[in-house]
Amino acid sequence: MSSRLSKLIRNENMKIYRRSRTWIMIGILLLAVGLLSGIMKWDESRIDHSNWEQQLEQQNLHMKQELTDNPDSGEEYSSYLTKQIKMNDYYLEHDINPQQLSLWSYVSQSSNLIMLVTILTVVIAADMIAAEFSWGTIKLLLVGPASRSKIMISKYIATLGFAVMLLLLCFAASFAAGGILAGFDGLNQPLLTVSNGMVHESSMIIDTLQTYGFSVVSLIMYVTMAFMISSAFRSSSMAIAFSLLFMLLGNTLSALLSQYSWSKYLLFSNIDLTRYLDSGTPLRPEMTMTFSILILVAYYVVFQFIAWLLFTKRDVAA
Amino acid sequence: MSEAVLQLRNLTKTIGMRKIVDNLTFDVPAGEIFGFLGPNGAGKTTTIRMIVGLISMSKGEAIIKGVSVRSHFELAMTHVGAIVENPEMYKFLTGYQNLIHYARRHNGITKERIKEVVSLLGLQNRIHEKVKRYSLGMRQRLGVAQAILHRPSLLILDEPTNGLDPAGIRELRDYLRKLTKEEGISVIVSSHLLSEMELMCDRVAIIQAGKLVDIRSLQEARSQAQTKIVIEVGDPAAAEQLLSAAMDGSGMTVSGNQLELTADKSAIPHITKLLVASEIEVFGIHAVQKSLEDQFLEITGGEMIV
Ligand SMILES: Nc1ncnc2c1ncn2[C@@H]1O[C@H](COP(=O)(O)OP(=O)(O)OP(=O)(O)O)[C@@H](O)[C@H]1O
Ligand SMILES: [Mg+2]
Repeated sequence: MSSRLSKLIRNENMKIYRRSRTWIMIGILLLAVGLLSGIMKWDESRIDHSNWEQQLEQQNLHMKQELTDNPDSGEEYSSYLTKQIKMNDYYLEHDINPQQLSLWSYVSQSSNLIMLVTILTVVIAADMIAAEFSWGTIKLLLVGPASRSKIMISKYIATLGFAVMLLLLCFAASFAAGGILAGFDGLNQPLLTVSNGMVHESSMIIDTLQTYGFSVVSLIMYVTMAFMISSAFRSSSMAIAFSLLFMLLGNTLSALLSQYSWSKYLLFSNIDLTRYLDSGTPLRPEMTMTFSILILVAYYVVFQFIAWLLFTKRDVAA
Repeated sequence: MSEAVLQLRNLTKTIGMRKIVDNLTFDVPAGEIFGFLGPNGAGKTTTIRMIVGLISMSKGEAIIKGVSVRSHFELAMTHVGAIVENPEMYKFLTGYQNLIHYARRHNGITKERIKEVVSLLGLQNRIHEKVKRYSLGMRQRLGVAQAILHRPSLLILDEPTNGLDPAGIRELRDYLRKLTKEEGISVIVSSHLLSEMELMCDRVAIIQAGKLVDIRSLQEARSQAQTKIVIEVGDPAAAEQLLSAAMDGSGMTVSGNQLELTADKSAIPHITKLLVASEIEVFGIHAVQKSLEDQFLEITGGEMIV
């Protein structure tokens, strides 16, 4: 049973990776990582690093001055300053130049490219079912000893596999670029955070994975939506166009509509879970992480159900 | 007749108010090439789509080797290979990769089996080329190769001669014969061209406007076919008079210098003798088999588009 499914997945993978389009996409992603890393390096090289220690000391002096001069400039501001001072002290103590990029700076910047990974995967997902109709091969695919549900599952899994492959590639390529441009000795560099007046060291890799993880949530939602659209349309170009349109318009739309309370039920208002982290602000004050997760789960189930209904119940008269 | 490979029972497809396929009931016997004949829009493709599960059945049942398509789709499909309308392939894959893609969906297809089928259809020289470089005829062959890869009991080909040249059609006919003989497959072939069916099939079902009109064994039809005798003479009026008196004159028609009458070939010497004796000039005399087409046109009331 499961070996049958794994064979179906291999078929779908063959159809993804034997197309030149897929390799162009992979090329685009690698190019983007290269460009981003290159620009970061170039930007870093314009800063004068020779007297960074003096600069930090200077900064700390200013900030301490600020604290004593304006003791009532607000709780938030003063705690920010205290944190900065603690950090700078730590840098000086451990001889770390914060302006200097490390391997991890490159890797954590690469998480911005997950948007690109999402777009590329959405194109693949939107094409997954619709292309079989465009090519006429849907008849070939459906006439055989595999139920339509199994074929759909195999296609969905292959699409997610493609996304995972791109994410790994993005991570690995930026890791390599970081290693080449900043040296692999930065590998063990910790992530520094200040809490309770103490500087804490934590794992950089876990932090990066967390950033990746949050982006993967939106990736999965967009890809599942594209997959549903793919089973609704019988033309792959239409399916791709609509999926990208929804994805790109959605963000703008949810920002525009955020004044209305019903907008909190929109997919796009909930898709960015990083809003609920320390550094973010929710789109509407009453929204919480749990609320958004529940909404996303509901959308996910509905998308999958509609896709399944469209794919398994419709007559194929292409 | 051995057990039926395919049984249709009241198979019906209704779209909107229209019955596109209307209560089809018939059996396809094992080991035969079975023709599915009907004019454009008769509902042949629709029936085939229902049999292979591409579209739902509005009513009725299709049973393949005793397995209901409706209730045990996956099992029923292990017995079927089909090409519905055009043979569509993944053009960016090679012929061989297309076969692998097909083979992975079925159990127990070995590399040897793929090789065997490739050479059966004479594709060995081009099998590792991308399908987008194949001609239509080669795609047809690859389609058939695919459809028989898992040794189905029933092979369904919808308009397989579409786009084939006469040599291609002949080849198709030959390997369909070979398949029924060597692999014991039953084949259903649909067509709106009777002339093709005549040469290919053991039996044909004729459908028109979604309804079954008749099922005929072509063997019988051939042996029952009557002969016409066509005579070209100098004086057709005199010849008609003479022959209608001498023979019983059934169904004699005159057109121009030609005289047509229904009689067996063995009557030709007698007719010749009569004409010569009456000094009527004879330019030609020959027997013609009344074609199946004529017979079918009679059955379908002349509405057949051929
Ligand atoms: N999805 C559909 N919706 C409405 N009518 C349809 C649909 N599919 C087919 N038909 C109609 O059903 C009839 C039968 O079509 P079908 O394709 O089965 O004919 P056919 O016998 O295969 O003809 P041909 O020899 O031209 O291939 C046609 O009149 C067609 O217009
Ligand atoms: Mg047809």
